Amino acid sequence: MNNICLKSIDKDNPSSLATYETMGGYKVWRKILNGELSPEKILEELKIAGLRGRGGAGFPTGLKWSFMPRNQEGQKYVVCNSDEGEPGTCHDRDILRFNPHSVIEGMAIAGYVMNATVGYNYIRGEFMEPYYRCEEALKEAYDAGLLGTNIKGSKVCFDLYSHLGAGAYICGEETALLESLEGKKGQPRFKPPFPANVGLYGKPTTINNTESFASVPEILSRGGQWFADLGVPNSGGTKCFSVTGNVKNPSNFEIPMGTPFSDLLKLAGGLRKGRTLKGVIPGGSSTPVIPAAKAMKMTMDYDSIEKAGSMLGAGSVIVMDDTTCMVKALTRLAHFYYDESCGQCTPCREGTGWMYRVLKRIMDGQGKSEDLELLLSVQDKMLGNTICALADGAAMPVESFIRHFREEFEYYIKHGKSMVENDG
Amino acid sequence: MMVDIEIEIDGKVVHGYPGESLISIADRQGIDIPRFCYHKKLSVAANCRMCLVDIEGNPTPQPACSTLSSAGMKVHTNNEKAKTAQKAVMEFLLINHPLDCPICDQGGECELQDVAMEYGSDISRFTEGKRIVDDKGIGALIQTDMTRCIHCTRCVRFGAEVAGIVEMGATGRGEDLKIEPFLSEGIQSELSGNMIDVCPVGALTSKPFRYEVRSWQMNSIQTIARHDLVGSNIFTQTHKNKVKRVVARDNESINETWISDRDRFSYQGLNSENRVLIPKIKVKGEWKDASWSDALDFATNGIKKNAKEGSQFGTLASKNATLEELFLLQKFTRGLGSDNLDYRLDTSNPFNAKVLESNISLTELETIDHALIVNSYLRLEQPMINHRIRKATLNGASVSTINAKAFNFNYRISQSVLTSPQNTVATLSGVLKALLDKSSQTLPGYLNSVTIDQTHIDIANALSNAKHPVVVLGEHVNGNKCSDQVAQLVANIAKASEAKTLNASLTGNAHSAERVNFKPDNGKNALQILSSDLTAFILFDIYPNFDCIESKNAIEHLSRDDAFVVVMNSFDDESVLSFANVILPIASFYETSGTHINVDNIAQSYSASVKSAGESKPGWKVIKVLADLLNLEGFDFTDSSQIADEALSLSPSFSEIEVPISNSEMPNVATVWQYTPYASDVVVRHASSLQQTRIGQMSEASVCKATAKLLKLSEGDLYNGIPVNINESVAEGCVFVHTHLPRQLGVI
Amino acid sequence: MISDQAKKEIDIWVAKYPEGRQSSAVMQALTIVQKENGGSLTNELKQAVADYLEMPTISVEEVATFYENYNHKPVGKHVIRFCHNISCMLNGSDELISYLEEKLDVKTGEISKDRLVSVKRVECLGACVGAPMCQIGDQYYENLTKKRIDEILDGLK
Ligand SMILES: Cc1cc2nc3c(=O)[nH]c(=O)nc-3n(C[C@H](O)[C@H](O)[C@H](O)COP(=O)(O)O)c2cc1C
Ligand code: SF4
Ligand code: FES
Repeated sequence: MNNICLKSIDKDNPSSLATYETMGGYKVWRKILNGELSPEKILEELKIAGLRGRGGAGFPTGLKWSFMPRNQEGQKYVVCNSDEGEPGTCHDRDILRFNPHSVIEGMAIAGYVMNATVGYNYIRGEFMEPYYRCEEALKEAYDAGLLGTNIKGSKVCFDLYSHLGAGAYICGEETALLESLEGKKGQPRFKPPFPANVGLYGKPTTINNTESFASVPEILSRGGQWFADLGVPNSGGTKCFSVTGNVKNPSNFEIPMGTPFSDLLKLAGGLRKGRTLKGVIPGGSSTPVIPAAKAMKMTMDYDSIEKAGSMLGAGSVIVMDDTTCMVKALTRLAHFYYDESCGQCTPCREGTGWMYRVLKRIMDGQGKSEDLELLLSVQDKMLGNTICALADGAAMPVESFIRHFREEFEYYIKHGKSMVENDG
Repeated sequence: MMVDIEIEIDGKVVHGYPGESLISIADRQGIDIPRFCYHKKLSVAANCRMCLVDIEGNPTPQPACSTLSSAGMKVHTNNEKAKTAQKAVMEFLLINHPLDCPICDQGGECELQDVAMEYGSDISRFTEGKRIVDDKGIGALIQTDMTRCIHCTRCVRFGAEVAGIVEMGATGRGEDLKIEPFLSEGIQSELSGNMIDVCPVGALTSKPFRYEVRSWQMNSIQTIARHDLVGSNIFTQTHKNKVKRVVARDNESINETWISDRDRFSYQGLNSENRVLIPKIKVKGEWKDASWSDALDFATNGIKKNAKEGSQFGTLASKNATLEELFLLQKFTRGLGSDNLDYRLDTSNPFNAKVLESNISLTELETIDHALIVNSYLRLEQPMINHRIRKATLNGASVSTINAKAFNFNYRISQSVLTSPQNTVATLSGVLKALLDKSSQTLPGYLNSVTIDQTHIDIANALSNAKHPVVVLGEHVNGNKCSDQVAQLVANIAKASEAKTLNASLTGNAHSAERVNFKPDNGKNALQILSSDLTAFILFDIYPNFDCIESKNAIEHLSRDDAFVVVMNSFDDESVLSFANVILPIASFYETSGTHINVDNIAQSYSASVKSAGESKPGWKVIKVLADLLNLEGFDFTDSSQIADEALSLSPSFSEIEVPISNSEMPNVATVWQYTPYASDVVVRHASSLQQTRIGQMSEASVCKATAKLLKLSEGDLYNGIPVNINESVAEGCVFVHTHLPRQLGVI
Repeated sequence: MISDQAKKEIDIWVAKYPEGRQSSAVMQALTIVQKENGGSLTNELKQAVADYLEMPTISVEEVATFYENYNHKPVGKHVIRFCHNISCMLNGSDELISYLEEKLDVKTGEISKDRLVSVKRVECLGACVGAPMCQIGDQYYENLTKKRIDEILDGLK
């Protein structure tokens, strides 16, 4: 456990360059600077490793990097998505706090592979502690001559800067992030064109999640096959999972893909005394909820979670026990999407507010018998009809909560209060 | 046009170019796809989601506006999947939209209403209480009702992309997204009214039109706007013989789909209280209403009595008169044996249009890569011409200026040279010399003593490095005593740099006046007419306080006891009453048929939109009757189109003349007097809403510190009635007046 | 309007972006001037930021109203931003927010009478394993209990 991105977590002074280097850090980068590792070789290793983007969509990282027109003239950019805003997710924060050099090295490698000489790490505005750690790490890296122009005489150039957000979940969406980085409000761009062609400041850009970048140095240092073998087919390597909610020991765990959910639950201390499991949101608030029985049978990898009816997403496991009022939980999530919609697309701008208001009304005891069908229909009209996936993220919980816990909703509408005893 | 891919829309094989959006192909084919955010002249936003269509092979519906076609694509715009998506979006759009169509000014011409009829389900399942949005108010021209806004952002994109002034924005997020300006200062663009046209719903409507009539009660008449050199195509919308609203009419090669605020809102002037409605004669110093026949007799008798010889008679006409009016008037004047006629009242040196021809078309302006703008605040003078240059700048063209003041353009000026009127000849000579030096050409004698500095070289470089440069000469030159030399130098510079030229110093319908030669061959020009001992005059739609460069002298001169002045006007004017002997009321804009010739030499004829006000009559008819009464030959017209035919059969008489460049004597300090665009002619001066805008209210005399000191002016003093503003954006040795107030002095 | 010190700080951000892309620094510029102004923004400040970064003012306004971390009305000296999203909710954040409101005699969204604190409910702050949690200034406070809240409040001056 905690072998790659979180491996320094128990060390003294975990974020320092010295600690990083004693764990083999910057070995790959130095190899590159010595001309011993070609971009092609790196891409090949990444493909073998089966590293899939950790930000939520799970797109193969090596493939994404190969889309960059690396030989096209002009500026290109590498951007790290450290906006971590998906409810239930907080492992990127730990990577930034405890292992910032892995992100720096990962981004530098990406820059080299894609011939991009400038990188930005977009850190969410509230993450001040992680930001300061990253700034310190950047200073160390520059002082050690690991970043800059013509690094150690290699002709390789890479400059890296931190950028701070200011509070907007949508800026985690990669194109909204680019808009935000350009000093605008974070409204997603329609695609195509994709960032690899028209990205930051209109230039080719690759965006990856913090954990994706942080995984790269270790993969290249120990080999793609080694990484792939840690996981299961189609879900290579290990992955950080944030386990939160009704568990005894909420924490981040970096574990091999394919680990049974039940094992992960145990790692988190299991449920509190006398409680039974009700449902699990496996990949962050935007992914469908899975009822207990199904959850206990799934393993933590892309395919198994999909089979269980949800998505691995950002690896944010929200555990709900029998004390949880599902109506309240869903209302809270609906409020989140209503609050965070950027507002440009009609279905999302209007639909998130509509769904939240209906749920709020149910919570206030004013529910109507037709409300559940209405909610199902509204979410269905949002799905797939917008520029970005926030609307889908708002819709899927509604659908899955109502599907799996319908009687709780019906009870609330009928009685004006929660079916769960000590709630409502 | 390269048409080389085939796609299938609704089972029909259609063609498009690679990379063309589906909606654009569908539009060309007449396949109707509903849309709100898409506008063919604006960037694609794809935010309304109304245009979702089903593309085979795609799990989810895709927006037709942002999806680019690729060969072999199979698109369905109205199968089950597409319809379901479109209906879904429609329902979302309507949940927070007020259902107050009966009281909405957009009712009957609302894109949302139209689409809702087809798609909306009539029972709303939304029972949560609709959103209400506060209105900030954005000025005198546009009425906002933002509760009706559907957040398509067309207006925001219009501001950023077309107007070039980012004023409207989308603030907040999610459901609280709000379309608004930063403060309620009022929108400042001279093109702002187009936001009304682009707004698909009743969120932005015309403020002057508010609550006037319902759109379907009006007649729409195709006509031409007459305030500038473009002749934008418009519809006048009328009700009970009044123009109630003006909207843009598409004409790609003239105004595309836009019109200036001046063209849109000036119609208000027609309904002003200040119209001349009845003929008037002055008997023993007293004004009396008269019948048309009495007034016409009075006029012809006066002319006969006071101008025994043709040479004692002179005619002045507005540059905004119609081609027909100008043609008949010159025929009339020449028929009386006089060659004293002119339309160039605002020029101190009626320089000849023959010195500088325009040889670039409006559409061609978009393709230039460098523009040198001389003596012009082009953005306000000729908004639609400026818009074409702005489009060129969006494609990378650069612009330099030689002006008395650094103006606020809506594109970046790479090189701005401040030059007072008296130094303009020297500056242009410097540029010309630098140009000729570059190509090692022999210099004409007058350039020998000219010194060149870096700014001259920079401008020369910009011109000579450009592949398609243009030199634009603007309105300010008209006040310059050496305007002919300035025009000549501009022509020479254009020749030396192989640049095209655009003479924007000819404003209004001046091209018609030039076509019919409404100026003396050997007789007296405007300044001379207004200062020599002529004894009979016709003034056609002239208000000397505003229109004449030496207004005070002009009025004094016309007020002489031995002067008999026939005035044909459409508006009342205090000073006109002081000198005129008879006033014949004539039809104003939109009340007469006529022809306007624009900068591209395109003659656009139009018919009257409404009957003329009161007893006033179309100018051409009045001139014809006068001619008949004076037994002049060749006036047997029964229809204005016959006049136009005859006038247009005259070939444009452009024969270049060469003005010698010399050291003319110039004053130490010169004044440039520029009217706001909303004071450029009598109709727009009476358009009350335009007068309330920031542009309309502009009135300041800008002067730099050094010149202020010389003139002993301090901030806030009045300079010829205009408040002084001391700032360094003005060339030394010059006062730049920008105002809506009448001229009070002679200007160099 | 913007102090020299603030300008210096803004310039550090401006330097991170390519020439002519100074508007990339607008979010930080707003953060910096907001901090200097005691935690909220005014029209004048937004105008000043627009002028300093050569941006249309409405574009600055768009940014200032889009992001959660800008305040448009005065706030307390300390802003307690309490997460109420799902992981925190499952761990009792609602109860703690009520406790806080009662103890400070202030509703969420308001300022305490002594202007020392204001309380805001916010969405997920990305520290869910430490739920329930809140943010005060740059600092995160995790695994909150009533007792821990008492201690924190005692420390606020
Ligand atoms: C609404 C929304 C929020 C997102 N938030 C994040 C986020 O906080 N962090 C992140 O890495 N990716 C987030 N993503 C995913 C990104 O758009 C993008 O897929 C990811 O950064 C790509 O990096 P990866 O390939 O390394 O996963 C979000 C996507 C959406 C639609
Ligand atoms: S005001 Fe009109 S044009 Fe502007 S966003 Fe709203 S609906 Fe669109
Ligand atoms: S017209 Fe295509 S999304 Fe609006």
